[in-house]
Amino acid sequence: MYLADFHLHSNFSDGKLSIPALVDYFGKRGFGAIAITDHFCEQTSLIGRAASYLGVTLTTATFPLYRELLKSEKERAWEQYGMCLIPGVEITKNSISNHRSAHFLILGNLDHIDPNLDISELSDRVRPEGALVIAAHPVSTQKLEKQTFHLWDRRNELASKVDAWEVASGPYLFDEVRYSGLPMVASSDFHSEKNMTSWKTALKAEKKQEAILHAIKTQRLDFQFYREEKAREPSYCPVPWNMGPQLGHYGMGNVVSF
Amino acid sequence: MGWGTWLAFKQFERRPQKTDTSSLPPVSILKPLKGNDAGLFENLESFFNLDYPDYEIVFSVTEQTEPAIAVVQELLSKYPQIDAKLICEPQKTGPNPKINNLISAYELAKYDVILISDSNIRVKPAYLVNLVPDLRESVGIITAVVAGVSPQGLGGWLEASYLNTFFTRWMVFTKKLGFPSVIGKSMIFKKSTLKRLGGLKILGHYIAEDYMAGHGIQKLDLTVELMHSPIEQFIGNYSYKSFWSRHLRWGRIRKSIAPIAFLIEPFFFSTVSGALGAFALSSVFKCSPVLIWFLHMAMWGICDVVIYNLMDQVSWKSIGAWMIREGLALVLWVSIFSGNTVSWRGRDYHLLRGGLLSEGGGP
Repeated sequence: MYLADFHLHSNFSDGKLSIPALVDYFGKRGFGAIAITDHFCEQTSLIGRAASYLGVTLTTATFPLYRELLKSEKERAWEQYGMCLIPGVEITKNSISNHRSAHFLILGNLDHIDPNLDISELSDRVRPEGALVIAAHPVSTQKLEKQTFHLWDRRNELASKVDAWEVASGPYLFDEVRYSGLPMVASSDFHSEKNMTSWKTALKAEKKQEAILHAIKTQRLDFQFYREEKAREPSYCPVPWNMGPQLGHYGMGNVVSF
Repeated sequence: MGWGTWLAFKQFERRPQKTDTSSLPPVSILKPLKGNDAGLFENLESFFNLDYPDYEIVFSVTEQTEPAIAVVQELLSKYPQIDAKLICEPQKTGPNPKINNLISAYELAKYDVILISDSNIRVKPAYLVNLVPDLRESVGIITAVVAGVSPQGLGGWLEASYLNTFFTRWMVFTKKLGFPSVIGKSMIFKKSTLKRLGGLKILGHYIAEDYMAGHGIQKLDLTVELMHSPIEQFIGNYSYKSFWSRHLRWGRIRKSIAPIAFLIEPFFFSTVSGALGAFALSSVFKCSPVLIWFLHMAMWGICDVVIYNLMDQVSWKSIGAWMIREGLALVLWVSIFSGNTVSWRGRDYHLLRGGLLSEGGGP
């Protein structure tokens, strides 16, 4: 079994580390798979355009470079660490209202990404090509940050369009998702090293992109809490109430599962 | 302004050190050619006289009728001992004509270290020996500040004034602030580095392929460096119209890539910053704003003379050109602001956000 993190940001959007640095960071910690999912804001909204001007999102101009770099780093991640790097994006639709804001990840195939499309249209476009659609932090993240409830509000309608829903984002478990019966995945929403202590997904699938995406789809996975040793814990970050028994060392951090 | 002048001084202060040339890697020099620039023969010939152990030159043109072909053929027969060739195999990688011209030469290049250099650049024999050792492990790309030399005509003098003052300061200033610009007139990098970003082909979609190369390379945690001496652009006879249209194109590219930086550009113009300062100080010290404005312009002028002198010989003509250029800066900025279309090598392009191009005039 190996650990995977499917929601990481690089300096192509608002992350601190570069893509090569992310590969080294997770590779050195023994992770089996990661997905780099930089923000790609829709350009039809004022907030999305502002993000482009501020350089905190992918744009149609930077996206080709991003995709190429992911391709070359995917090879290096495998050769150097035996880690599978899955290309991804986080389609980011922000509005002033949290209930009209939605973030969702597309993993696997980035050939036909258009951030201005609605989740249903994009899902219909990318899933037949082998990509996965994951609703990102669909309920309250318990942090002072922009919340995105739109997908959760429409969860019954979107159930057939979304392959999995994030059950954890960083150190928090989302009970609403956990007990909803919907397919789940746990990720860190990693922006910098301080986000490393978080819930991760544990997999037994072969370390190949198709096998990993299939394991998410079929829910052959587990969730484990990864604690980065010597990490500076943010003061607002409590230890999750339902942490299970400690399983022992995994890479450089400690891992527990529920 | 004073800081920028000091930075320029520091940038060019380092004297080249003795280098063991036997340990230097071989270099492929790529020269995209279009038209017949003033001094083309001498410009190209300077690359045949480089004091460097192992290098090749690949000239590329897009049409068999290019006037530069005759010049290159003359040089090839004059210097048979130099590993040089001329190719005419344009490929369509995107709307950027320079990349379309270059791509076959790039694929043909034998060595990992690639130098792309424009046809109007003239270099000294020690150029590569001074440049290549700086391409260390942590460095992704090295570009250079361009000194405008041998200007003729009003456009030529204005171009020299721009390159030898505002542009030089801008290059060292943005480098110091951590937003270095890459100038396509001279950029050296490793093919293996650019391959990680999809190679040269990927840059064919952008009008500012140099800027995007620098932007992408920084995403690899590699640095963009400036050469420690300016390279010379032989300006020659240059009309006012050419000067205006070239700067309109450059300005609109800047606006497309970095609209916020473009919006605040006027605050870095001598006339505008002087007017704002004069207005503010005159209300505090109760003195004539006109007097303050002239004092400001005089100080600015002295700083620019210092920088100009680092790049080329200052003359009365260059001082006159400086005055005209400073006066024109705001007018040019307004013209740039008013459109998104550029003409480049005889074709019209519409600029999209982020430096992407679409062919044809457009709105």
